Amino acid sequence: MKLGSHWRIRLLLASAAATALVAGDASAQQFACPKKGGEIVFAQEAKVNSLDQHTSSTISTRNVAMNMFESLMTRDENFNPMPELAASVEESKDGMTYVFKLRDGIKFHNGKPMTTADVVATFDRYKKVGIDRGILDVVESWEAKDASTFILHMKVAQPTFLENFSSFSIPIVIVPAENAKAEPMQLATVGTGPFQFVEFVADSHVKMKRYDGYNADTRYKEIDGFGGYKQACVDSVNFRIVTEPGARVAGLETGELHGAEDVPTKSQERLKQNKDIVLKPLKNFWIQIATPNVSIPPTDNLKFRQAVQAAMDMDEVMEAATDGAYQLNIGFQYPGQNFYTEAGKETYNQKNAAKAKTLLAESGYKGEEMILLTNRDYTNMYNAALVMSEQLKAVGINAKLLVIDWPASVQMQQNTNTGWNWFFTGYGTNTALGGVAALRFHAPPFNTYKPKTPEDADKEFIAAFRAIENGKTLDERKAAFAKAQARVLDQVLALPFGSLTKVQAVRANVQNFKPFRIPRMSNVYFSG
Amino acid sequence: MGRYILNRLIQAIPVIFLVSLISFCIMQLVPGDPAILIAGPSATPAELDNVRRNLGLDQPFYVQLTRYYTNLLQGDLGRSLFLGKPVLDATIERLPVSMSIALYSMVLTLLLGLLSGLVAAMRQNTWVDQAVMLFALLGVSMPNFWLGLMMIVLLGVHWGWLPTGGYIPYTTSFYGWLATTTMPAVSLAMLNTGLLARITRSTMLEVLRQDYIRTAKAKGLPGWMIIGKHALKNVMIPVMTVIGIIFSLLLSGSLVIESIFSVPGIGSLLGSAILRRDYPMIQGGLLFVATSLMLLNITVDILYAYFDPRVRYD
Repeated sequence: MKLGSHWRIRLLLASAAATALVAGDASAQQFACPKKGGEIVFAQEAKVNSLDQHTSSTISTRNVAMNMFESLMTRDENFNPMPELAASVEESKDGMTYVFKLRDGIKFHNGKPMTTADVVATFDRYKKVGIDRGILDVVESWEAKDASTFILHMKVAQPTFLENFSSFSIPIVIVPAENAKAEPMQLATVGTGPFQFVEFVADSHVKMKRYDGYNADTRYKEIDGFGGYKQACVDSVNFRIVTEPGARVAGLETGELHGAEDVPTKSQERLKQNKDIVLKPLKNFWIQIATPNVSIPPTDNLKFRQAVQAAMDMDEVMEAATDGAYQLNIGFQYPGQNFYTEAGKETYNQKNAAKAKTLLAESGYKGEEMILLTNRDYTNMYNAALVMSEQLKAVGINAKLLVIDWPASVQMQQNTNTGWNWFFTGYGTNTALGGVAALRFHAPPFNTYKPKTPEDADKEFIAAFRAIENGKTLDERKAAFAKAQARVLDQVLALPFGSLTKVQAVRANVQNFKPFRIPRMSNVYFSG
Repeated sequence: MGRYILNRLIQAIPVIFLVSLISFCIMQLVPGDPAILIAGPSATPAELDNVRRNLGLDQPFYVQLTRYYTNLLQGDLGRSLFLGKPVLDATIERLPVSMSIALYSMVLTLLLGLLSGLVAAMRQNTWVDQAVMLFALLGVSMPNFWLGLMMIVLLGVHWGWLPTGGYIPYTTSFYGWLATTTMPAVSLAMLNTGLLARITRSTMLEVLRQDYIRTAKAKGLPGWMIIGKHALKNVMIPVMTVIGIIFSLLLSGSLVIESIFSVPGIGSLLGSAILRRDYPMIQGGLLFVATSLMLLNITVDILYAYFDPRVRYD
């Protein structure tokens, strides 16, 4: 087997860069907990359904479970792929084989050493029940060459395979072989992470404790994204489900909670005055967005969609949607991300009523009703729809809100022939995951894009999207992404409004807590 | 009396059957697909089909209905689509939480509502009566979620007397249980106390005007004996009905309160199930609640029959 080394080199570079980033200089020591002990009580807003990471797509599952489970590869602080349980990965020159070497000395929380037999069993399970198992469709087979060498054989070469493979959306976390036969949602919570499972009481809390057998990744100096040098400084962590924002704030103020996610904007000014609390804004948590139904009038008409786009004042929409916690953002990536581009920026935030009226006239619009499908479960989606409807009425569009609950709106959005024209949602994790993940919603067979038939799908966009997936170099893929984003915006296949900031907060004695897409509890300790 | 109880229990069976059927049918009609919520809105049609097949949601209505009743007759309420455990287990786990808060709230309601209603009636048109009625009006008018939030701000944050949320089982710590359930129980009790105080007062006033009370007074019986032995038993008849209604209000009102105070009870369980379209959980939960309310009603009827023997012969 002839193997290339560019991925290994990239991974080593990533490791080195990360190490330098967090350590500052080569002589820096690995992170050592200045103090050990205590229990962190962290409030999370969304209820946890299950801790089975293979079969749950919800953020709330990830929030908790990623402190206990680990994958062969994960994402670093900037969401680039990095090794976690893998010591190395080598891709063959033809891209048809990936060889993973496992790190030595990894043990599961049940004390059993992790071998490639566990990896094989995990992949078998993920292929059978994993929600995102489509990422393995390009894989022909996998095998354990020996106890520490795991090989993937591809059906077709896919340059972005490791990017997809390291996704933390529904990650392929490695579990003991004896647990891998579990039915969906039934997986025992036994992983290899710095924390191990103690107790899960649905709608109440999930408790985990330090795993003393954890083998930290010594290639790094500090935590890096979901990987890096991790260790549990506190004895235990209690993720408490606190759905009521006021109760989260109250808990923080009294000290019953040591941290909380999603602090409401209205409370932030007060909390800033409180020396016992530190706010930790997490910029670019998600993109607030609306997607059109291009199968039914009037949104099947490009001129009409462009009129809508021209009329939009994104500041007004985002201000209402987020109570001011936002940034304007063109497109589907954020500044600083590999794929960020301003392609299509001329279409964004035009606030041009005159142009909108001209385009409306050109489209032949006769005042037909246009339905904005939204929900009240997510206030920011509802508020965005409300403001958008008023802006569109101002240019002469007969906009009507259809407000139902989130599950019903999502189901309604699946149908192209039902009465909706714009669907309000948010792109979170997938935007963080990079180019392909950020735009895949607009490419068949995903459900967000609604051409009447697959044949009606926008061919120029599809071609650009495939080029993101298959571009041989990062530069090729970035160029394809820019083209695809420009096409989505030009054809108004989506209306990205801007990015939302989510504010996490901790008590002042909680040290080394860095805001991230999931609350990471490794390397966090109490001072004093 | 035994025959009366048996009759009431037999009458409950078709009602429970109807509740189960209606809840099943409603779930089929309500828009929202649990498969989309499990797989995520961006899932491909093929992924959604896989999830639906795994859950048996791709089966025709009659197949799902037959399977539901077959399981139900064997005492199996199904398995939650999201919690990964049997519906009955999930419900039973939450029962002590909800029941303990409901009972705590009920005790507060009975103590405050009955006593203040009786005192108001006996001190009719005095400042005591007016104060009690003002308190009752406040209780009836105040939304319990608002009261809950105010209590968190004052008792939890400002004075720091009670924890702002969470639940500690009484098996772990009685003091912890008392601390975590007091604010939810008081929030729930406030409305009901007002209701009960007003009903008790008006019923008591009506009873006090009856001939037999006048006779008792004429015989020279002491006031406590007139109230305790003659009046109270008759006051209890309409009050029992109100207590039944109050208990159902406790169950329905608990969804909001459990959410505000982060209490993992049945209200919270059902609320989540509805938002997730967890069909088995909703059907099982509704059936459980309906059966509980039915048994409660039967208990009230039995007590009614005890206090007023004429009821047994209706």
